[in-house]
Amino acid sequence: MRGATILKASDDKTRQLNKHTLYIQANAQLYSMRNETDLSPTALAHYVRGQLATSLRSRKPYNVNLLLGGVDPITHKPSLFWLDYLAALAPVPYAAHGYAQYYCLSILDKHHHPDMTLVQGIKVLEMCTDELKRRLPIDFKGMIVKAVTKDGIRDIEFNDDKVVKCP
Amino acid sequence: MKELYLCWSFDAHWRCLELEAQRQLDYSKASQPRIPPIPHSKFSPNRPPLVSKVSLRAASNHLSFITILTLSATNGIVLATEKKSSSPLTDPASLSKISLITPNIGMVYAGMGPDYRVLVDKARKVSHTNYKRVYNEYPPTRILVQDVARVMQEATQSGGVRPYGVSLLIAGWDEGILPDEQAAVEGETTEGEKKPTGKTGGILKGGPMLYQVDPSGAYYPWKATAIGKSATSAKTFLEKRYTEGLELEDAVHIALLTLKETIEGEMNGQTIEIGIVGPPADHLLGVEGVEGATGPRFRKLTPQEIEDYLTNM
Amino acid sequence: MVGKDCVAIACDLRLGLQALTVSNNFPKVFQYGDNVFLGLTGLATDVSTVSDLFRYKVNMYRLREERAIAPSTFANLVSSSLYERRFGPYFVSPVVAGLDPKTGAPFICGFDSIGCIDFAKDFIVSGTASEQLFGMCESLWEPNLGPEDLFETISQALLSAVDRDALSGWGAHVYVIEKNKVTKRLLKGRQD
Repeated sequence: MRGATILKASDDKTRQLNKHTLYIQANAQLYSMRNETDLSPTALAHYVRGQLATSLRSRKPYNVNLLLGGVDPITHKPSLFWLDYLAALAPVPYAAHGYAQYYCLSILDKHHHPDMTLVQGIKVLEMCTDELKRRLPIDFKGMIVKAVTKDGIRDIEFNDDKVVKCP
Repeated sequence: MKELYLCWSFDAHWRCLELEAQRQLDYSKASQPRIPPIPHSKFSPNRPPLVSKVSLRAASNHLSFITILTLSATNGIVLATEKKSSSPLTDPASLSKISLITPNIGMVYAGMGPDYRVLVDKARKVSHTNYKRVYNEYPPTRILVQDVARVMQEATQSGGVRPYGVSLLIAGWDEGILPDEQAAVEGETTEGEKKPTGKTGGILKGGPMLYQVDPSGAYYPWKATAIGKSATSAKTFLEKRYTEGLELEDAVHIALLTLKETIEGEMNGQTIEIGIVGPPADHLLGVEGVEGATGPRFRKLTPQEIEDYLTNM
Repeated sequence: MVGKDCVAIACDLRLGLQALTVSNNFPKVFQYGDNVFLGLTGLATDVSTVSDLFRYKVNMYRLREERAIAPSTFANLVSSSLYERRFGPYFVSPVVAGLDPKTGAPFICGFDSIGCIDFAKDFIVSGTASEQLFGMCESLWEPNLGPEDLFETISQALLSAVDRDALSGWGAHVYVIEKNKVTKRLLKGRQD
């Protein structure tokens, strides 16, 4: 069971990054070009949901779970959307997908605060990855961390090599 | 500009119709060579729009349209027509020009009979597929008129078909959308002040609705109108006789008077056809005692009823 | 739930994957006119899809007919739309509540996932906590409740029912629909 899970987990991710999102990216860019403005995160989230919902009842549905984070280009309000392969969309303050949900959500429940700063956020994220390293049976290959701000998206250095010991 | 453009299109279609009619007449006489039908997409934009009216009248003469007229009263509508048979040997009872589409909507035509029968079928069909089967209620008159007009318009734009050679009058009764007590209050003020406006309620208060639909797909709401042969004189007559706040009984009377002015030959229960939109005809319900069931508002008068009206004239 | 010249409709706010709660801000009651409401329980994706579908259909109706849709008409629209998907249904159990725009009479009804209508004079329940809701409504509801009493009744019934269901709860929305007035209230509820 675990072996199969590992294979599936990595499979999911690769598809997520190259197949469906490319299509979405292209359409979002098309919108930006046509209307000379960017879609708001809410609008994009609903657009993606629409695509996914159509695909769900097609012959070959997409099998991707997404988290959509963004900052509204006009109001500068940040928002995060949780979207699974069934195209269930929910606006959330914090979220995770897959097995990580079972480990991370309780930590986030406890430590998340609506007006926390980016630095504080990274700290909570580190608590989450620590927990994953400690408890998740799946081999942990490290994190890619990005911050979405009103000024754009930037990569965040993240210490993947930190060794976490089981208590 | 838009009006103008539409007029041109009408013209083309009517011209086509006219020729089609001519062709059929010739065909039946078999005395003249057959005129090939022209494709209806060919029309001359240089011709003045007025011509459309001329060709409309011309077409109606060719096809020997029969006067159809309707009168909308405050509490109903009358559709009246002459049933003209070409031979004394025909059975007049089997001829029928007025049709029920939904329990509250009826239709009559001027033009080509076979085309009308097809349209009646389609109107009955769309009233179910587009409405009854979706909302479990019958369409309001305007919605049905739009659906029928769409069928007719599509025939003007599709390849391989000719436009429908009929003008229609569609009469129906709509439930209003205003809350009951509000509608009642507004009704009282009009009656109480003895100033009947004669306006039908529109979609707010509901009431009798009357539309004309042309082969182009254009439709017009009327208070009273006539189509077909001698429609012009019938309309002039109606303009004189029509008053605001007409009652249904008076409307039947005026309809018969107008018909009398415009048709030659005897008028009796066999040669006249009348359809009315009036109060619910509960006696036409198949089963009695169903809670909330109301009878059809549209019904055709029997020859006996027509005779009674004629003797009272 | 039907009251005297008023109706109320309420939903919880939980969105979950089996036992895992994903969101506590997922309303399931949608408004389609001045006094026409639709509640949707079932598969979350279909809740969104179906609510969007009816928003489209009702907007088209309003444009075409130049009038607002009546709850009974809307109920038949819901029924026929769901039955259209008879052999590949949306996994939802809708509830319609509203006041008739002409008579002002309360109207409620429920559906199964393929559109069979369940008309009721008192209340309609739907979702994972439907058994608990049946029990609560059977014991709390009485005829001719005024708007305030109706709010209290429906709220107590809902909160008590979802507290006995692990898959529901996490806050609630309650709408009380009166003639010319709709009151929407947010109940915080237990967040555990």
